[in-house]
Amino acid sequence: MIDRLLGYWIEIGIALLFATAGIQKLRDLRRFAEVLAAYRVLPPALARPLAGLIPCLELATAVMLVGAARAHRVTLPAMALLILYALGLGINLARGRRDLDCGCTWAKDRPIAAWMVWRNLILAALLAITWLPWSSRGLSGADLMVLAGGLTVMAILYAAIDRLLGEVMPRTLALRRLA
Amino acid sequence: MSTLGLSHAALWVVVIVQALALLAVVRQLGVLHERITPAGALMLAKGLKVGEPAPALTVEDIEGNAVTLGAARADEHATLLVFVSPTCPVCKTLLPVLRSSAAAERSWLDIVLASDGEREAQKAFIVANRLEGFRYVVSAPLGVAYQVSRLPFAALVDAQGMLRARGIVNSREHLESLFEAKRLGLASIQEYFESMTRERAA
Repeated sequence: MIDRLLGYWIEIGIALLFATAGIQKLRDLRRFAEVLAAYRVLPPALARPLAGLIPCLELATAVMLVGAARAHRVTLPAMALLILYALGLGINLARGRRDLDCGCTWAKDRPIAAWMVWRNLILAALLAITWLPWSSRGLSGADLMVLAGGLTVMAILYAAIDRLLGEVMPRTLALRRLA
Repeated sequence: MSTLGLSHAALWVVVIVQALALLAVVRQLGVLHERITPAGALMLAKGLKVGEPAPALTVEDIEGNAVTLGAARADEHATLLVFVSPTCPVCKTLLPVLRSSAAAERSWLDIVLASDGEREAQKAFIVANRLEGFRYVVSAPLGVAYQVSRLPFAALVDAQGMLRARGIVNSREHLESLFEAKRLGLASIQEYFESMTRERAA
């Protein structure tokens, strides 16, 4: 049994993630099409039409997640997308393509890395937690404050960890190798 | 609002402010890292020695003409070999920089783009990105000879055929640091740090 608050926090948090990812991709579809083709996991003829479809799927997923409290199965598309992305990253890491642009939402020219696979799997595992039965208590005003605070902190910490792992750590390691 | 509720709300504010402070520190760290790389693009541990003769190769350009790269040149021009690929998104962002550098450094430098793979894809890449002004060579052995590991990669060869600098170039700063490295006579960022350490010790 998990508390309603935890369930809402996970689902709305990940919905926000998908919404920003979808909007950022739609704003620069040409770049996303190039990134998707560069991953070389799809036939080249499919990459271009799918580049338009994926951001729409992400937005739809975000909307579904917000409404997921009543039916757990609507978190399935989100989990599927997260695991498919992890697979795409993993295949290219296994191919040894360390120079591939990850196509991450906020970062340009960031190469793919193993931690991104783990990030996606952890997010998918968080969604799996929401499949446990939810407590049926009603939400009070204080609960809403906790939810709003929790989502804000989560969004900021996500951005901080993302930058730390994606931008600061590789450069720190490169400098350490020099010393 | 009760005292408990008030303290709860205050704690949330504190946690949010702390998270913001952490984000700011991480951003500053990122900026700091960008700024402390003043000379020579990051060089990989293995590889050719800067200051020694560059591998000289005769390869074909996109039109099928033979081009000799890495050898001494009579016209006193240095050669900047830039390794790119149609499938590398970062390379595309570097192309406008290359165009402006080619114009600005024309008096002493020729920029040659190098790639390998299918000729048709290369031709489409040249047309799509308006690279007709560059000499464009297609050769896999060239990339192997210069030990290119990641794209976009650049190697600077002077008029005497000596390798002056080589490394990964992701931005205008990296590219200009290659020219700066040649001007200062430093091979790479590693050598810059070493010379700083020597200065401090002296």
